[in-house]
Amino acid sequence: MSAIVNLRVFRNFQQFVSIRPISNYPTSFSKNAEIQKVEEEEEFRSLDLSPNKSLNVRSFGRKLYKRAVVPPPRSHKMPVDQDWPSVWPVPRTFHPASVPLPLNQGWVNPGATPPGKFANAELMKIPNFLHLTPPAIERQCKALKKFCTEWPKELNTTEKIDHHFPIKIITSDYLHSSPSLRDARARIVTLQLKLSTLKLDSHAKDKLLRLVKERYNPETDMLTIVSERCPLRKQNLDYAMYLLNVLVSESRVRPNNFAKQQLHIVCVLCANRAEFIPKTEPWENEKCEADMEKYVWEGSQSQRTLEQLLKRMPDREKAQDLPEVIEQYSRNVTHFHNEGEDAEKVNAYKESVKKLLGLNA
Amino acid sequence: MLRALVQSTDKVAVVPQLRQFHASAACCKVQSGRYKITPKRDRPLTYEMANPPHFIAHRKSWNSWDTTTLLDGQRAAETAVEDVFIRRFVTGTWHDQFCSEIIIKRQHNLIRIAGIIKQGLAVRKMYFLIGYTEELLSNWLQCPVKLELQTVENKESTIFKYI
Repeated sequence: MSAIVNLRVFRNFQQFVSIRPISNYPTSFSKNAEIQKVEEEEEFRSLDLSPNKSLNVRSFGRKLYKRAVVPPPRSHKMPVDQDWPSVWPVPRTFHPASVPLPLNQGWVNPGATPPGKFANAELMKIPNFLHLTPPAIERQCKALKKFCTEWPKELNTTEKIDHHFPIKIITSDYLHSSPSLRDARARIVTLQLKLSTLKLDSHAKDKLLRLVKERYNPETDMLTIVSERCPLRKQNLDYAMYLLNVLVSESRVRPNNFAKQQLHIVCVLCANRAEFIPKTEPWENEKCEADMEKYVWEGSQSQRTLEQLLKRMPDREKAQDLPEVIEQYSRNVTHFHNEGEDAEKVNAYKESVKKLLGLNA
Repeated sequence: MLRALVQSTDKVAVVPQLRQFHASAACCKVQSGRYKITPKRDRPLTYEMANPPHFIAHRKSWNSWDTTTLLDGQRAAETAVEDVFIRRFVTGTWHDQFCSEIIIKRQHNLIRIAGIIKQGLAVRKMYFLIGYTEELLSNWLQCPVKLELQTVENKESTIFKYI
């Protein structure tokens, strides 16, 4: 209903517009009257038996130039309930005679009316979305629907999607207004993966992080591999998957001393295939306490010191709750190193040390 | 002051590699796309002519629409040369017919050429010229070309103001 009201308003409005001195397009009343007169006169042609002299002379050698009759804009004849998507089905430059809207565009001094839609090049320059009205979009979606497949019902939450499809591949397509489809940036492939989905043990995770360096984001637990060294997207995708494969299998390899124990078993299992023997990097055994990302009680200097202390201590002096006290001490030391110093932790550490040394002050 | 720095002519003869430079004041006049007011105030201007180039994107928009000037846009030089060629070809083919600038809009590989022409041309001629222009340009540029024209009764219809 609102559309009808708008169109009526427009028709009244356009009559005002055409009176303005700026708009010179032949949609004024006089032009329309002229066209009507031409149409009326065409009813019967009279045969002129006594030809007029001047006409005879002029039409002797050449045809009389007759200007083609220009019909009035067809927006005048459009019904208010017409099917607009079939009037304007595809993108097209603005055409004033096909659009029944009271449009003005252009900058004028304040107070004046901007130029109307006829003979207005500014309206032809700007992109229009007259082909993308809501009913047109609806119609196109309906037509496309038969080519779509339904979304799997089981994948209704993001967690489920992440669980079943942990690897995310990001690529970009670039559209230009040019005859070429090619863009070098389209080859870049980004592979993203949550590290927790790989289910690595602590050694493998540590080695993987050392291998990937800044490609791992500890805040989001995301591993990002960007591959752009190959000329094609397919090759880059294959390369990114290969990198992920290699990273995971390399990081699952155990360090040397552990590998030596397993070497025998592996060699028995696959007699001639030397490539199955896990190879280790020389730097893996060099990791010392200073290289640790976190403080670990097991194998630390203070554990060793404590053990030596306990060894020298006579058995009868050992308290009943010693394992508990040691455990508490180790927990406090670990917290103190890993979570930063504050008054609470210092106090807890102090208490555990006092308990350990048997000081009851 | 700069004149004192310029070497005298006999030294130039001795050292032929020496270059001299122009030392008068620079003429910073900006003139292109601007029209002078006539004493009788009877120079007709279209909307395009009435707004000088510095109003592009403020009061009027570009005559060429494409993605070459965006960040990492491709084929900027080729597109500019093609646009010049299209403008020259269309102006020559539709001789004295266009009342506005020729607008070239590119969408992907499609080239839309828009403009306002006069109604004087016979209908058959007009259809021929549209087909001729589209066919030849699409052959040369190797992409589809569309001519989307609007007609006006005469050139005076496009006049925006007199100065």
